[in-house]
Amino acid sequence: MAVTEERSPAKVWGIGVRQIVYMALGAALYGGLSWVTNVIQIPSAGNVSFRPAIVIPLFFGAVFGPWVGLFVGGIGNLLGDYISGYGVYWNWDIGNGLIGFIAGLAMLNTWGRYNNTRNIIIAEVFAAVGVVVGIGFAAYNDIWISKLSFITANIGELVPAAGSDLINGLILLPILLVAYNAAMRRYGRG
Amino acid sequence: MIRLYTGSTHEPSCLLLFLFGLTAAQTSNFWFILTGFLGAVFYYSLAGLKWSETKRVWYFIIFLNTMLVVFNYFLSAGSVVQGVDLTHQHVLFSIPFIGLANKLPFFVPKPLIFSVESITFMITQGLRNFGIAFLAIPIPFTTNPGLMGIAFKGMGLPDKFAYAVDLSFRFLPSVTRDFGTTLDAQRARGFEIDKLRGGIFSKIAKLAPMVVPVVIGSVVGAEDIINAMELRCFGMGKRSWLTILHPRSVDRVVMTLTLVGFFAITLLNILGNFYSTGFLHVLHIQGIPQFLLP
Repeated sequence: MAVTEERSPAKVWGIGVRQIVYMALGAALYGGLSWVTNVIQIPSAGNVSFRPAIVIPLFFGAVFGPWVGLFVGGIGNLLGDYISGYGVYWNWDIGNGLIGFIAGLAMLNTWGRYNNTRNIIIAEVFAAVGVVVGIGFAAYNDIWISKLSFITANIGELVPAAGSDLINGLILLPILLVAYNAAMRRYGRG
Repeated sequence: MIRLYTGSTHEPSCLLLFLFGLTAAQTSNFWFILTGFLGAVFYYSLAGLKWSETKRVWYFIIFLNTMLVVFNYFLSAGSVVQGVDLTHQHVLFSIPFIGLANKLPFFVPKPLIFSVESITFMITQGLRNFGIAFLAIPIPFTTNPGLMGIAFKGMGLPDKFAYAVDLSFRFLPSVTRDFGTTLDAQRARGFEIDKLRGGIFSKIAKLAPMVVPVVIGSVVGAEDIINAMELRCFGMGKRSWLTILHPRSVDRVVMTLTLVGFFAITLLNILGNFYSTGFLHVLHIQGIPQFLLP
């Protein structure tokens, strides 16, 4: 029996029960895994931690859409800082939300299916852009809020944070996408 | 013990934190920032947090803030002062240092200048960041996670999103448990997360046996929750909440004062662009007393 794949804007932008649950799950995963790795700080001027968990908003965005990515990045980062006891830093929450949102825009091309190399590469490209834009937003916001100089925001925050997130995200994202694809096939949904 | 913002809701503390950041960003006047800092310290003191509860976080914040201020000074070769008139800098001393140049090799010897203005700016910057920390740290220590969803609802978020916030806090223990179980299972197979070998790329790729089972297992397991919620017609009608948070008078006063303060400072900042002297220009100067100038 042939299965018709849904390809409509509602699949990308709609928010139903599925999206709500994946938003919550993704945020909990991102917050929980970030908390584990928040103690590993990268030598830099700002609050930059080594964070393999960055793959979570990238993955949830790419598979479940931009709104899910936005929520997972933003609330997940808030959750991670919350349980670490570091407080709330809204510009970094928004920055992380942007990472997931932009990674989620890959769905406009891939419709959330990553069963071929082309779609995985598209997800990687959107993920990379998302990391640079999201971290850039947070780092450049610190020029205004913390009165950092432009060079400090770049060398001290943008480069170490975006560099670490790019390496972590771009290595782990395809692994997760392939594993997710295999799992969905096994459960008859691939 | 007075817990100003958490007895009923944490909206006041979030609003205060958000607008404090935006207000403090508009000036580098030492006296304004000092006033805000003292206000933040007073606010923090109302939470009644003990040093033993928060010392780990404070060590981190002190280290981070010091690094931020010092790195910023050195990376900018002392040209740190922003947002204020700096036509006549009062130089105290300078030390040999390196700075950036437009042509190869891009690094040239340059003196690192220490002036009254730049040192005042560093102190102001430190006070600003500590002020933000004094407002940010009490939130996780004094807010009941069970009230997070309803508090977000109170801040104007739609029901669906507020419920998702609530749900993410409920997922957290099971996610942590899954992570622990997976870690133990992988350790039993000889995987040691703290002894990963190889280069940075190899180490990250080797984290996959930890990350993949937790994420994929959770995503697959979430299908049951989705089905259960759909069977109960989640999201079909207007949602009601078991807990209702009522802002107290003190919460309303804090929110009103925060908004008034923010708009007053913003207005003063805008007006300051049209005046070069006097009170209306006060946010555009550092406010260093004359007797401190050499």
